[in-house]
Amino acid sequence: MGKIMIINGSPRAPKSNSKKYADLFMKNCTVPTKYFAITKKNHLELCKTMEDFTDVLFTFPLYADGIPVTLMNFLKTLEENPPKQKPRISVLINCGFIEPEQNDIAVKMLRFFCKKQGYSFGSLLRIGSGEAILTTPFKVFVTRKIKRLAISVSEGRNENLKATMPLPKKIFVRASTSYWENCGKRNGITREQMSIMEIEKE
Amino acid sequence: MNLILSDRPFDLPVDNRSMEFIDLSRLKISNCMGCFGCWTKTPGKCVIRDDAVKVYPKIAESNRVLYISKVKYGSYDTVMKTMLERAIPVQQAFIRLLQGETHHVQRAVASKRATIIGYGDISDEEKEIFTQLIGRNAKNMCFEDYRVIFLQENELEKAVRKEVMSWGK
Repeated sequence: MGKIMIINGSPRAPKSNSKKYADLFMKNCTVPTKYFAITKKNHLELCKTMEDFTDVLFTFPLYADGIPVTLMNFLKTLEENPPKQKPRISVLINCGFIEPEQNDIAVKMLRFFCKKQGYSFGSLLRIGSGEAILTTPFKVFVTRKIKRLAISVSEGRNENLKATMPLPKKIFVRASTSYWENCGKRNGITREQMSIMEIEKE
Repeated sequence: MNLILSDRPFDLPVDNRSMEFIDLSRLKISNCMGCFGCWTKTPGKCVIRDDAVKVYPKIAESNRVLYISKVKYGSYDTVMKTMLERAIPVQQAFIRLLQGETHHVQRAVASKRATIIGYGDISDEEKEIFTQLIGRNAKNMCFEDYRVIFLQENELEKAVRKEVMSWGK
């Protein structure tokens, strides 16, 4: 039986949506799974630990149209310190936009890494509306896909999955505006304050 | 303003009144920690008070940019990528439709003509990914047009000089 190592590449790992997606993955996975978050100091330890696993699942958010620096730095260390047995690598990526396809370039970067470094690529789940979906009734759309991803990774299959809120884009824009407005409200910041056009000057 | 953002030093004849050269490798810039403070606590202002706060206002106001970055895995390498991730105060949390896709609303960000130089030993596959990345950036970073150029590191000095000289014409 395989063993899955989940590696969270989000810069805010403990509070991240990537962590919540990882938790859902573990809840729905029938093979042994262990969770790790990338920190500045644990790169080498993670590279070494990888030897004990058949599969790695990278979970991370889209950052500036690509892979977050937290994960890129880890990949650079992994390139220099590969495990003796290379696990299969799967990806669970999320972005705040409604289109899961906005994650595609970051996925291509990961696929390129795998190809160049000799890791086989397993399964993929691209999540759109990933910032808020878990707080809405649409959570079921993503948990269903995470369950499928867990089965795919456990069985060593190559599935390409995606999930997002089933909303017309204009409605999504309105819903996301309310979501962010509420985030500001919790900090005592109004929608008008959040909408200022001014950017700080040096 | 014209802005050159580079992940390595260059010896360039820069006219300070209309052009600024920033060597990111000399600055202290931490990773974005994804706190969304610049959207929901101190809008337009990053809560991490390091050198990045001197750079993103300049990115926003520039109408011509030249980014010079090593390419890694089809991405900007981490020096440039770290800065670009820290530039999100120039956007709002709010989302709009742009060419049929959802994107963040921009604050006072000037439309830009962008030239992006990716350097290093770059395979054709990486070039393809990097070019697609810049296409995505164009939508999120207000590039009204852009060019992507790939070079070896030893070709940079000459090419960057040529590019900058062409701006004066």
